[in-house]
Amino acid sequence: MGGNGWRLAEGGRIDRSRPLRFRFDGRDHVGFHGDTLASALLANGVRLSARSFKYHRPRGIMGAGVEEPATLVHLAGELASGNRPATTLRLSDGLEAWPVNAWPSARLDIGAVNQMIARLIPAGFYYKTFKWPDWHLYEPAIRRAAGLAPAPATPPDGAWEARHAHADILIAGAGPAGLMAALVAGRAGARVILADEGIEAGGSLLTRRLSIAGAPALDWVTAAVAELAALPNVMHLQDAAVWACREHNLVMVEERAPSRPAILGRSWRVRAGRVITATGAIERLMVFEGNDQPGVMLASAAQAYVNRWAVRPGRRAVVFTNNDSAYAAAADLARAGVEVAAIVDSRDPVPEHARAASAGLPVLAGHVVRSTQGGRALRAVTVAPLAGGGARRIDCDLLAVSGGWSPAVHLYSQSRAPIAWDDRLAAFLPAGPAGPVAAAGAADGALELGVALADGAAKARAALADLGFAPPDAALPEAEDLPYGITPLWTVPGAGAKAFLDIQNDVTVADIELALREGYSSIEHVKRYTTGGMGLDQGKTGNVNIIGAVAERLGKTPGEVGVTTFRPPWTPVEFGAIAGRRSGPVVLPYRHTPLTDWHMDQGAVIYEAGARWRRPGYYPRLGEAFQDTVNREARTVREGVGIYDGAPLGKYEIKGRDAARFLDWIYTNVFSSLTVGNGRYGLMLTDDGLILDDGVSFRLAEDRFVMSTSTGNADAVGQHMEKLLQIERPDWQVMITNVTSQWANATICGPKARAVLQAMGTDIDMSPAAFPFMSVRDGRVAGLPARVARVSFTGELSFEVNVRPRDLPALWAAAMTAGAPFGITPIGSEANHVLRVEKGFLSLGHEVDGTADPHDLGMSWVMAAAKPDFIGKRSVDLRRASGRPRRELVGFRPLDPDRQVPEGAPLTPGGRTEATEGFVTACVWSVVEGRWLGLALLQDGRARIGTRAHVRLPGGVIEVELCPPVFHDPKGERLRS
Amino acid sequence: MTGYDVAIESLPMQAVIDLKGEAAALAGWCGDVLPQFPARPNSLTRASGRALLHIGPGHWLLCADLADEDSLIAALRPDAAPPQVSVVPVSDSLAHFAVTGPDAAEVMAVATPLDLHPTVFAEDAASFTEAFGLRALVRRHPGGFALSVDRSFAPMILQALSLSAG
Repeated sequence: MGGNGWRLAEGGRIDRSRPLRFRFDGRDHVGFHGDTLASALLANGVRLSARSFKYHRPRGIMGAGVEEPATLVHLAGELASGNRPATTLRLSDGLEAWPVNAWPSARLDIGAVNQMIARLIPAGFYYKTFKWPDWHLYEPAIRRAAGLAPAPATPPDGAWEARHAHADILIAGAGPAGLMAALVAGRAGARVILADEGIEAGGSLLTRRLSIAGAPALDWVTAAVAELAALPNVMHLQDAAVWACREHNLVMVEERAPSRPAILGRSWRVRAGRVITATGAIERLMVFEGNDQPGVMLASAAQAYVNRWAVRPGRRAVVFTNNDSAYAAAADLARAGVEVAAIVDSRDPVPEHARAASAGLPVLAGHVVRSTQGGRALRAVTVAPLAGGGARRIDCDLLAVSGGWSPAVHLYSQSRAPIAWDDRLAAFLPAGPAGPVAAAGAADGALELGVALADGAAKARAALADLGFAPPDAALPEAEDLPYGITPLWTVPGAGAKAFLDIQNDVTVADIELALREGYSSIEHVKRYTTGGMGLDQGKTGNVNIIGAVAERLGKTPGEVGVTTFRPPWTPVEFGAIAGRRSGPVVLPYRHTPLTDWHMDQGAVIYEAGARWRRPGYYPRLGEAFQDTVNREARTVREGVGIYDGAPLGKYEIKGRDAARFLDWIYTNVFSSLTVGNGRYGLMLTDDGLILDDGVSFRLAEDRFVMSTSTGNADAVGQHMEKLLQIERPDWQVMITNVTSQWANATICGPKARAVLQAMGTDIDMSPAAFPFMSVRDGRVAGLPARVARVSFTGELSFEVNVRPRDLPALWAAAMTAGAPFGITPIGSEANHVLRVEKGFLSLGHEVDGTADPHDLGMSWVMAAAKPDFIGKRSVDLRRASGRPRRELVGFRPLDPDRQVPEGAPLTPGGRTEATEGFVTACVWSVVEGRWLGLALLQDGRARIGTRAHVRLPGGVIEVELCPPVFHDPKGERLRS
Repeated sequence: MTGYDVAIESLPMQAVIDLKGEAAALAGWCGDVLPQFPARPNSLTRASGRALLHIGPGHWLLCADLADEDSLIAALRPDAAPPQVSVVPVSDSLAHFAVTGPDAAEVMAVATPLDLHPTVFAEDAASFTEAFGLRALVRRHPGGFALSVDRSFAPMILQALSLSAG
C-alpha cells in the first residue's frame, strides 16, 4: 500500500511515475495520472467531500462515474467551470476544486445549520410557506440558497466548437456491447461513430475482473480499440458523452477533451441512420436510515476504486445487497486488502453461485442494514434480520451497497422508444419493436458479459441489414460472468426522514410518503412535489427506487406506477459546447447593405432594423443631440431633399401565366387590372384575416410583377407565397424569385427630389405627366442601369432608384454630388419614422401588431368588395359580422405639446387602473407641427375622434386629444407632385 | 486559436442566373446557352466555363464568370422570356467563399449540417443547405468547398468562417 494506506502499491490504471498536485476544499493533495478527482480524493483519505443540496448533510463519494449523486465540484483557475461530478473529472496538475454546496468548506459548512430545522422543511415546504405576502419577496434568497456552482466570472481561455456529423450507425457507449457493435459495424464498412463518456474505453470491463476468450477482458478492449482505430470508416470519440437522442436520429454528443488543444470542448450534432445505445446499467442504492453518510458507496463504485484506481475506499467494509453482483465486488475488496466484515443480503436463501463468488466471506442472509452510525465518516452499521429480531452493530468505515441494476434506458427512451417493467431483473427495459434506435448490452438488460457481447453484435447486424450492408461473419468471443439475480427490496423497514431516495436533491422516504398523503399519487406529480430525480444527476441512482417505494406504498407494481419522462441531457453539458462559435460578434446573424461602410464612415448610429439588417438610425453631427439630428433630417425631407438607403426593402419577382391571379388572391385588392409600368399598394392578410404585410407591386409585363414587402417581413412573405403555391395552388403557374439582394435602392425624397435626379443625369422622362406617382420606369441614372419607382413612405415626392448592389455606392456618390447644391442629406430610420407618422402611413410592428385588419386601420378602401375571394376575406367578414368593438387607428396630440408619450404605452378609460382600451403605436416630435403627436389603436377609436383619451403610465396620466391619423398633406398632393 | 489548416477566401462575384420552369421549356428558351441539364437534383453540370446547378424542383442556377454575365443576359433575354419560364439575373444576390485546405471539411462541419462525405456529396454535388443558420449553397471547389450566401450576410459569414477556422 501507499504511504497513507489508501493507495495500493500496485495495480490499477494509473501511472505512478506521473504524480499530479491538486487542491480540494482548500487543502493540497497529490494524485496520479489516470486518476479522477474522486479516486485521488479517496486515495488521500478524503471522505467528507460534499454537503447535501438542501440539508447540508455531510456527504462523500458514492459512485465512480456519471451516476455520482453527491460530490459535485466547481473548478477554479483556467479550468473554471461548475457542477462537475468529481467522479468524471480527469485529474490534472494544478487542478483546484471546491465542493459546490458548502461554505466556507465542506468541513466547516455554515449551511449545516439546516440540519437542525430539517423537520420543518420537508418536500414542498416552500410551496406552502412563502405565499404571503408575495412569493417574489422570498424568491431571490431561495434561488441563491438553491444555487449550485456559480458561473465562472470570466470566459475561459480558448474556444468551444459545435459541429455536425453524419454516420450510418452511431453507437453510444464503448463498453463490451458497444465495442462489439462497433467492431461488427465497422468491419462491414458502415460509417460508424462510437462515442463514450468515459476517460477510456471499456465501460464496466475497466472496473471488474473478467476474462474474454481466456484472457483479461481489458486485453480484448485494447485490441478492439486498436482495430477500430485502424478502420477509416470508424470515428471513435472518447470522453464524449452522448447526452441526447432526438427526433430523426439526431444525436447530441459532448466531446470534453478534443485532441485539438485550443478547443475547450466540442459539441457534435450527429445525424445517424441507426443508433445503438450501449450505455450500460446503473447500480441503485439501498434505502435505509443514514444511507447518505460519507463511507456509504455503491458496491460497483467500491469495486471500481480498488480495481481501476488501486484505491481502498475503506479498511473495514460491510456489503449490503439484494442481488448477486455485489458478491463479486466483495471478493475484489477482500482481494485488495479490505476487511469485509459481512455481506448483508436481504434475500434468504442466497444463491450458491453468489456465495461461491465470495468464498470465505461471512454472509448474513435475510438481513438488512437498518441504520448507520457516525457523523462526518461512517463508524458502524446496525444490522438486523429483515423479518425482525435483534439488531447488532458492526464496526466499519465502508458500506458498499447494491440495490440492483437499472439499465440506462435514458437515451433509448428519449428517442420515444417504449420501455416496460421486467420482474426478473426488477428494472425497466427497452420494449419497443425493432426500430432506428436500439439498445444493446446492459442497457438492454443483458447484465452478464457474454450475453452483452452477443447483444451488441446482434444489434449491429440488425442495423447493418436495415441499411443494406452485408454483416461480416465473425465468431463471438467467449466470456464468463456471474449470473445475475435479484429480489428487490425498495425500502428497509423503518426507513423514514433520513433514508434518502434521491441523494442529490435530498429526497427521503418521508418526503415520498408526505407526497402520497397529500394526494400526489402520479409518479410525475411525486417527482414535481418532491423534486426527486430533478437534480443534475437526473436521479440515476434513485429514480427506480422512488418508483419502487411509491409502488410499495400504493400496493402496485413498479410497472403500474410507470416512469417519468427521460429528457436530455443525460449528463450535464457545458453551455459553451452547445453554443460553439455562435457567440460574441456572430451570436446572431447580421446583414450589411452595400453602403454600410459609408454610413459608418459618416458617423451614423447603426442598429438592427428588422430581418437582421444593420441600418443607419441617424447621422448625428458634431455636438448634435439625438432629437436635433432627427428633426434636422426630417425637416430636410419636408423642405428640401433627403436620401435614404432602401436596400433592405424586401423584393420578389413574380412570373408566370397565373401571376396576376396569384396577386389578386394574396392581396385584398385587385392587381390583375394594373397596366404595365404601373403599381399599386396592397395589403396581404393571413388566413385569420389579419394584416401580414403591405407593399407596392409593379407590373413589368403581362405575366411579370415585382413586389416589394416590408423589410422585416420579407422572408415571412416569401415563405407564405411558396407555401400557398406548393400546397394550395400547385396547378397555378407562378414562379417566385427573391430579388431583395439583387436590387438595392437609394430613395431620394423631398420637394427637390426630381431636380436632384435630373442633375444626376437620366434618360427617363421625369416629368409628372410622363412619370406619375405609382409608376415604374427602367432606364439609366448617373450612367447606371436603373429601375426607378415613384412611391413614397414619407409623404413627399419620392423616387426609389433601384440598381444592382454593385452599383449602389456609385449611384449614392452621384446623388450626393449632384444633390449637394440642393442640400441633399442622408436620413436614417428615425427620421423616416417621423415622416411616416406625420403622414399616417402604417408600419409593420407598430400599427400592424398581428391583431389588426384593414378596417381597423381605416383602410376599408383596400378591401376589394367585388373580388369573390382572397386570403383572409372570410375571416374578416366573420369577425366584422360579430359587431364587436375593435381597436381602431387614431391620431392624437398630447394636451401638453412638449409631452412625449412612450410608444407602446397603454390607454385606459379615464386613465384609471382598468383594462386597457388601446395602446400608443407611435409618438414622434413632428417637424410640421412643432410638437409631439402620435398614432394609437383605440377601442372604437374613429367614433371618438375629437374627444380625449388617457395614457396611463407608472408616473401618472397623460391626457391626449384624438384626431384623424394623418397630420400632413391629407390629400396626398405633395407625394403626387 | 483552433488553428485548422484551412484557407478562407472571398471569391469574386459570379454571373448567376436563376432559372425556373419545366426543363423542357427552359431548354427550349435557353437553347445551347446552358450546359446539359443535370441528371439528378442537387448536382451540377459544366460546359464552356458555365455550370448549371439543379437546386430544386423546376429550379436551376446558371453560374459563370462575371465577364460572361452580359452575354448570358443577352442570350437568355430575361425580359422577353415566355410565361412558362422565369429567367432572373441574381449575380449580386450571392457572395461566394472558398474554404480550402487539409482541414476544409472540419470547418465546413462547423458551418453546415450537410453531409459532405465524398460518398454522399460527390464532385458534381451542389446543394442549398444552411450555414451558421443561414441559407447557403455548397459546392465542391478545388481543394475544398465553395459556400455561397445572400450577399448581405457576407461580412457575418466571413467572420463566422474565420472564427471557426481559428
